[in-house]
Amino acid sequence: MSSSLPLVREQRRKRRPAEAARIPERSGSKLGYWLYFIPGAIAVGIVIFYPLVRNLRLSFFHWKGGRAEEHFAGLDNWIALFSDHEFLQSFRNIFLVVIAMVIIPTLLGLIISALLFDVVGRRFSGKLSSFLRATYYLPQILPIAVAGVMFSWILKPNSDGVLNQFLSAITGSTVEINWLGGSYGTAMGSVMVLMIWIQIGYPIVIFMAALGRVEPQLYEAAELDGANWFQRFRAITLPMIRPEVFVVALTTTIAALKVFAPVFILTGGGPTKSTYVPSFYAYNEFIKGPDKGYAATIASAITIVVFVVAVIFIQVQTRAERKDA
Amino acid sequence: MTTLTTDAAPQSAAPAKGSNKSRPRTPAEWILMILACLGALIVVFPMVLLLINAFKSPADYANSSPLDLPKALDFTGIKTFWETQNFPRALWNSIFISTMVAVLGVILSVLNSFAIGIGRVRGRTWIVLAFLMANLIPQEMLFDPLFKLYDKLGLLSNPWSVIITFTVIQAAFGTYLLSSLLGTFPKEILEAAAVDGASRGKILRSVIVPIIRPTLSVLMVFFFIWTWNEFLLPLAFLNTSDSLTVPLLLEQLNGERQTDTTTLIAGTLISIIPTMIFFLIFQRTLTRGITAGAVK
Amino acid sequence: MKRRTAAAAGILAVGALALTACSSGGDEPAASGSSGSGDYAGQTLTVMHYEGEDSAMGIAWNKAIDIFEQETGATVNLQTTAFEDLNSSAEQLFDSSDAPDVSEYNKGNGTAGQLASIGVIQNLDKYYDEYGWGDKLASGIDTIAKYDENGVMGSGDWYGVPNYGEFVFLYYNKDMFDQYGLTVPTTMDELESDMQTFVDNGITPLTTSAQEYPMGQLWYQLALSQADRQWVNDYQLYQNPVDWTGKEVTYASSTLQDWISKGYISKDVSGMTAEDAGLQFINGESPMFYSGSWWYGRMLSDITDFNFGITNWPETTLTPGSGGNIWVIPAQSKNPDLAAKFIDITMSPEVQNLLGDSGGLPVAADASQITDPDAQTLISLFNEVNDKDGLSFYPDWPTPDFYGDLNSVMQGLVNGTYDATSANAQLGTYYEDYVSTVQ
Repeated sequence: MSSSLPLVREQRRKRRPAEAARIPERSGSKLGYWLYFIPGAIAVGIVIFYPLVRNLRLSFFHWKGGRAEEHFAGLDNWIALFSDHEFLQSFRNIFLVVIAMVIIPTLLGLIISALLFDVVGRRFSGKLSSFLRATYYLPQILPIAVAGVMFSWILKPNSDGVLNQFLSAITGSTVEINWLGGSYGTAMGSVMVLMIWIQIGYPIVIFMAALGRVEPQLYEAAELDGANWFQRFRAITLPMIRPEVFVVALTTTIAALKVFAPVFILTGGGPTKSTYVPSFYAYNEFIKGPDKGYAATIASAITIVVFVVAVIFIQVQTRAERKDA
Repeated sequence: MTTLTTDAAPQSAAPAKGSNKSRPRTPAEWILMILACLGALIVVFPMVLLLINAFKSPADYANSSPLDLPKALDFTGIKTFWETQNFPRALWNSIFISTMVAVLGVILSVLNSFAIGIGRVRGRTWIVLAFLMANLIPQEMLFDPLFKLYDKLGLLSNPWSVIITFTVIQAAFGTYLLSSLLGTFPKEILEAAAVDGASRGKILRSVIVPIIRPTLSVLMVFFFIWTWNEFLLPLAFLNTSDSLTVPLLLEQLNGERQTDTTTLIAGTLISIIPTMIFFLIFQRTLTRGITAGAVK
Repeated sequence: MKRRTAAAAGILAVGALALTACSSGGDEPAASGSSGSGDYAGQTLTVMHYEGEDSAMGIAWNKAIDIFEQETGATVNLQTTAFEDLNSSAEQLFDSSDAPDVSEYNKGNGTAGQLASIGVIQNLDKYYDEYGWGDKLASGIDTIAKYDENGVMGSGDWYGVPNYGEFVFLYYNKDMFDQYGLTVPTTMDELESDMQTFVDNGITPLTTSAQEYPMGQLWYQLALSQADRQWVNDYQLYQNPVDWTGKEVTYASSTLQDWISKGYISKDVSGMTAEDAGLQFINGESPMFYSGSWWYGRMLSDITDFNFGITNWPETTLTPGSGGNIWVIPAQSKNPDLAAKFIDITMSPEVQNLLGDSGGLPVAADASQITDPDAQTLISLFNEVNDKDGLSFYPDWPTPDFYGDLNSVMQGLVNGTYDATSANAQLGTYYEDYVSTVQ
């Protein structure tokens, strides 16, 4: 960080956490604060922890559903899980999903929001900048089923497909790529593009709002110092919006680990089950599978992974905040 | 610190007062601007397809490619959708559910995060995580247990089953976010209020909430949109035709082995209009940002 | 259909289905109560189904609702839903306070059989005795109404009542056949040489979908053409282990592999839905489409610029098909007796004839009453199958997951992930994984 930016320093410093309750109390007791948890605790207990415990329990049983009896299975389901080719494949796909839902949207979001804020907004027109932001956000407000219909037009395998028509026009020869059914590569690629398309608006809106916090004088001072756009981006923009980057990264990672709708509507897991993701697999087993216990095992495994990732995230975030302080 | 009482973040992403407009735009800036517009065009392109295809007759749709313009404007799809589906009812259900979740979710988030961020209770990192669990577990896990629970409570096909569930799920995000935001709340203000003899509840209501209001309204907008598009759990809990939400209504148009595509497209187009209107009204809210209440 | 076939001559043997022409319906009093109208005034019966309002079933059942309301004085609360919705929620829904009193449900081991075995739909033996439905249902149709304690169809107790039949056959574009001087294939050789002619002229002859059900049904038809009834019983009812290297599946998979390599079937089908495939036939891009009677009404109304015909698959006794979806009474039906009464009305000649005249395949109609020539064409084709006792169910029924499994293997066969041998081996693994647990 350049020393010509004292303002940033000062802002950071104020984030110091205090250990005591922050409203001074005559009694000094913090006990009263626990009262504020009552509604939340009851609600989370019933809506989340009760099903969670039931599911964990169910993962040790075989159960056909309905009024059928449960049969104790011990670790059967868990052992089966780790030799289940489809499950392992579905977890491999998660890495690609994280790229498509977290890494690319966050990076693209940073670039586009800086572009919209810094170039379009400040050098052209604020109206245009707002308009473009709204446009990028549109996919977020569409029901996913709608997105599915639209992408199925684009990705049709024959010359009816919009993307194939487009590629044919560019290359001058007939392109007929079977995007969703041809191979794992094109199918997974298509799913990833859909995910990026859906996700991109979320970081843009959040980052642009964050950029609104940055004092314009900072940029002007940096410009006068001869810093180019990229240097300004690194020295001012990024540090300013780091809290937002954390929020976006955490929430989208969580969403990525339990995603299933884009796969469900676009490929249905195909071709040859290669685009399965864990949550889709669990859903399928819950709805159509013969053993709800096994479905519960998959869902529990997902929960454990998501939980671990979230803990790591929050630890890193807390540490980063401490360091800043 | 004086800025605190005003809206903490600039209203618009682009302050028009930018003094450097006087400098001529460089070619590089033009290129970047055009790139930004192109990107937006790509994003919006699938929706253009929707618009084109919503006005085709079934025969026209079957015989043309998605890119072809309709031979003649045909409103069969729109008419069929309107006549066969109770869209106004579904729209009302969606609005009611999403609004209740937005409001209740924010209230719950504020209560939780007040104790965590201001109260600094012991083990708060783990408490945040506990609340965050609502966001961490895959929804298919909730499907069966909650269905049976709401069945016992007589809440099936009742909007409150969905409202309760999603209030908790959305409040997970809200609690996480507001906790770290309130963790940076300026102590001076709290001290001043305490010296005036205000109680905790009063400080929360009349000091903290007004200051973080911009963030709360952003949360509300997010909660509203997220709840609006939810599918899996509403599908399980809402079974009678007059309890359906908009996405569920659209799903009804998918047949067992074939789909009445033109009606589906028309329904889709109609169903996103209210969302668009909502978004246009509230998109300024989003510019305030989720940590906008943070101290300047 | 523009084609007015000779079948219109009118010797319609719907009788293959309507074994008895016994009078039935409202005037046969239920044993438990008297039959006069108005007995149930003030009561409400919640009926759920997922057929389109103007489909044959939708039309016929609306009629049934009218008759029912008149006869009983009760009110019907009709809840229409979507197939996929009910498929994913029925297990919970039917055992909850939200359960309908009577509902349409998907037939087969993995669906209705599963619900029967976990106790969320009611045993209907009592009502079968009372109303005599068993006598109306031809064998082959009634298979899907009975399930044993493992949810395997064909034996055990009655759990559902089929209202209509369905089967799979070949739709062909008459104009395109005429254009190239081809005749409707009656042997496999003719079929293949017809397809070769189309390929030579730059046309992909046979459209299908590997992302959804059509190609799996084609695969099954090919296997059936080499199979006997015992093989079907082994495959569907687990009577003996299925030989996954046997001639039936070998013929099916290698024929498909061959057809794909010769261009009879496009490689695009792995990325196409059933809807996409149907549209390719409807818009005249593809001269043949192998699919079910559920497309018939759609073809009649949507095909405007050419003539199409329908014919059974050449050189086969067995054909995919079965009774259609069935009426079931959920475990928590509030009024099962009234529900049974409603089901009985849907089986009455009046409703069944209407179903037939509207383009459906009734199971208990009075043949002489069906007058629509298009309906007669379809019914006579169906009777060809029934005369040979050919209905052989669907390929995806043996296990709850087999639908996805089969589509996935079909996709692999199309895009080269599998050859015929490995495709069958993979199918065998999926099949045995489940079947070994119930045998």
